[in-house]
Amino acid sequence: MESRVLKPILAVYVGAFLLFLYGPFVVLTIISFQQGPVGGPQFPIIEWSTYWYRHLFGLVPPSRIAPLPLGDALVRSMTLAFMTMITSTVLGVMAAQAFRKRFKGANIVFYLIVLGMMVPGVLTGLGTSLLANNIIGIERHWYTTAFATHVVYTFPFAFLVMLAILNRFDASVEEAAWSLGVSPVTTFRRVTFPLIFPGVLSAMLFAFTLSLDEFPRTLFASGRDQTLPLAIYGTFSVEIHPNIFAFGVLTTLFSFALLSVYGILMALSVRRARKMAMQEDIA
Amino acid sequence: METAVFRLEGVTKRYGDLVALDDVTLDVRVNEYVSFLGPSGSGKTTLLRVIAGFETPDSGRVFFEGRDITHVPSHERAIGFVFQNFALFPHLTVIKNVGFGLTYGKKPLPNAEVDKRAREVIAMVGLAGMEDRGVDQISGGQRQRVALARTLAMQPKLVLLDEPLGALDANLRGRMRNELRAIRERLGVTFLHVTGSENEALAMGDRVVVLDRGRIIQTGAADDVYSAPASPDVAHFLNRFNLFDGTLAGGNFTGPFGTVPVAAARKSDRDVYAVRYDRMRVMPASAAAHGPTLKATFVASEYLGSSIMNFFETGDGRVVEMEHHLSLGAPDIYEPKQDYLLTWNPDQAIVFGREAR
Amino acid sequence: MSDATVSVPRKDWTTRLLLLPGVIWMMLFLITPILMIVYVSFWTQTTFNISPDPTLDSWKQFFSSTTYVGSLWTTIRIWLIVLATTFIVGYPTALFVGLLVKSKTLSTVLLVICVIPFWTSFLIRVLAWRPMLGKEGAINIILQKFGIIQQPIEVLLFTELSVIIGMTQIYCVFMVGPIAFMLARIDRNIIEAARDLGAGFGRIFWKIILPLSLPGVVVGAIFVSVMVLGEFATSGALSGRKVNLLGNIIVTQVGSLKWAMASVVGVILTVVMGIVIAGFLRIVDLKREL
Repeated sequence: MESRVLKPILAVYVGAFLLFLYGPFVVLTIISFQQGPVGGPQFPIIEWSTYWYRHLFGLVPPSRIAPLPLGDALVRSMTLAFMTMITSTVLGVMAAQAFRKRFKGANIVFYLIVLGMMVPGVLTGLGTSLLANNIIGIERHWYTTAFATHVVYTFPFAFLVMLAILNRFDASVEEAAWSLGVSPVTTFRRVTFPLIFPGVLSAMLFAFTLSLDEFPRTLFASGRDQTLPLAIYGTFSVEIHPNIFAFGVLTTLFSFALLSVYGILMALSVRRARKMAMQEDIA
Repeated sequence: METAVFRLEGVTKRYGDLVALDDVTLDVRVNEYVSFLGPSGSGKTTLLRVIAGFETPDSGRVFFEGRDITHVPSHERAIGFVFQNFALFPHLTVIKNVGFGLTYGKKPLPNAEVDKRAREVIAMVGLAGMEDRGVDQISGGQRQRVALARTLAMQPKLVLLDEPLGALDANLRGRMRNELRAIRERLGVTFLHVTGSENEALAMGDRVVVLDRGRIIQTGAADDVYSAPASPDVAHFLNRFNLFDGTLAGGNFTGPFGTVPVAAARKSDRDVYAVRYDRMRVMPASAAAHGPTLKATFVASEYLGSSIMNFFETGDGRVVEMEHHLSLGAPDIYEPKQDYLLTWNPDQAIVFGREAR
Repeated sequence: MSDATVSVPRKDWTTRLLLLPGVIWMMLFLITPILMIVYVSFWTQTTFNISPDPTLDSWKQFFSSTTYVGSLWTTIRIWLIVLATTFIVGYPTALFVGLLVKSKTLSTVLLVICVIPFWTSFLIRVLAWRPMLGKEGAINIILQKFGIIQQPIEVLLFTELSVIIGMTQIYCVFMVGPIAFMLARIDRNIIEAARDLGAGFGRIFWKIILPLSLPGVVVGAIFVSVMVLGEFATSGALSGRKVNLLGNIIVTQVGSLKWAMASVVGVILTVVMGIVIAGFLRIVDLKREL
């Protein structure tokens, strides 16, 4: 049938598509192994070496090329991401819990929250700095204005994740707890939350990742001190060197490791849940 | 009624256009075992949930021990609930499940006390030794008992059970029925047991409440409901009666078996003639019989443990069942595809009609 | 039974309490900033100062300048092109993953593979295009090695084309996801039935597959549109200042503290986005489909 012809053609296409997707990443990985300090961020590779990786960590003799000003920025980004993660996840869990019951105005609240992820960073960043500068009269800082905007951006994601989790949550365990005389607040703390925790964890991870790499909002709203993406952006107009690519490779590997750990934890808990479901059949 | 432990007055509950409960009024006494019987969609689970407080009725009131609890939240009602899927806390051990209400409820007890009481209840339901097992490490029947123990640990005056035996296989179900009765009698607690199985309702309940489409259509002792169903629908749910359509006129019922005089009839919206399975008699085709007769061919028989169900097919394709209780003696053997004559004592028939008063 | 204490329905504050912090946060840090942009667009701007006196000066300045108005058209043009390219590039992949791959694990794995590149910082990925597209870039080297071209293609970097290529690559995944999702929900039996009735693949595609995947296309289009319209980093890094999107203008204006003009451009951008999204949502009643 036609699909017999179609499937292999599309399979080849998908292969090319993946090549297209991975192209830049592959290129930057290759160039990260460029010889240094004279090798530049372009082809050809003069000589394969791990120079730039060592340069990142300050393990090479000082040269004309200054090390990337990433240290402080990295710390700030991590802190900001952590703060954002906690705040937006708390807000997301609370909002999702509220949406379990029908209420008037649910639609408006829903769209208000989701709006946060739809409005591009240029606009929220601009607006927030206008608000800070010209009305409130405060200075922009990564831990105030940028933080506020980051939460606006990540809260809807955390909210949607928790909404999906709670939708599939079987409420009968909660009702069982109530029937035993346990108040709804204590029930949430002792029954619901422990059971939705993997979902909460994934929302936290999501929010953390989004905040770490967030760029447009931060550009406007973080004031003097830079986060990591801003520091990287700073190198755009200056000469770039393969060390920035080495940095990119390392951060990708870090994300990969983080998500693999998370994936393994999820797989384990799914396996445990499945084992439990099987037990029910062995009456 | 001061002996009533709870009372429903005109409870109505709607979901959009669907009327789940329609003006339900009911009294339940202390130390009673009440079964709610009805087909799916009859509202029996909704009724249970309204009593438990998981749903609020649109109108009507719920009283518990004299108090109006219609709008009291479920965690303040002190009414126990055993779920069909057990709803055990998967992240806690058996003993932590059982002691949950004692630990986190309104009047939390010290750990030592919780432990002692939990162990007592666990022993009462026959699970001693399983205290530290995880919920995923015990069988279905054992989980059922944990769910029960958990509820009983709170010493409620009323326990609601939503199809508690539905998830168990037939063998276990039989055993658990006896145990539930025993436990209930020992504790003197009122049980409200919802089931779709007429066998279970008749076996478990001192009283049976039959529901259909949100209304109570009959309540009474199990024996009474069994021998005198109040309507053709109840007769149908009980799954114990051969039901024949026909016409009731002038004291006679005309059906596929001819015309038979009828001593008494119950008022109903249609004319139905009911003969209980175990009131049918089978005679050879050539026998001479007085009274109503029906020619039928034997199809098959089914061994039900304490009785045998024999299936016959009449000329117009309807199936008639005849039940033989083995306590009455050895069963007769019938030949498949052989014609027989079915008859019964007309006094034992239950007749419904529009004409009745 | 005494009717002494009739129980009355209690007011439930839980929902309100749970939603209050989130709603307040969004009102303060999302709605107010957007309103600020509109407000400030009417402020008076001198070379170094800004004051809240209302004026239309910045607006007049925008519409009378060919550069500024030009950037509006550039933004719209690039948006449309990238929308088309992400759709064309992404749809066949979505078709494969959503419809033709039978095993659910395999399709999840494929989608994960598509998402992995996103774990690299967006900016670094944008940077990576330079050694790809330049005169001595990877693409030119490979093409020359295979003898496909003799001279390096110069137009690949620092042109509008490079911006389009870069954006397509970054945003096409947002098309693939929703479309694959909708395609996977198509009941295979419908396609079987159509085949049994003798329809060829072309017919089946136009009449069945494409229409049923439309909600996914719309969702993908909304995602891509929002991101492309708000773009400035890719165009900044890859076009060598040749391509000026509305986003770029905002950035440069803010850089020189021209808040009023930046706000004017911000309002225009918001209006464009609003029209685009509203337009998409009219095509498909999303709530019904989802």
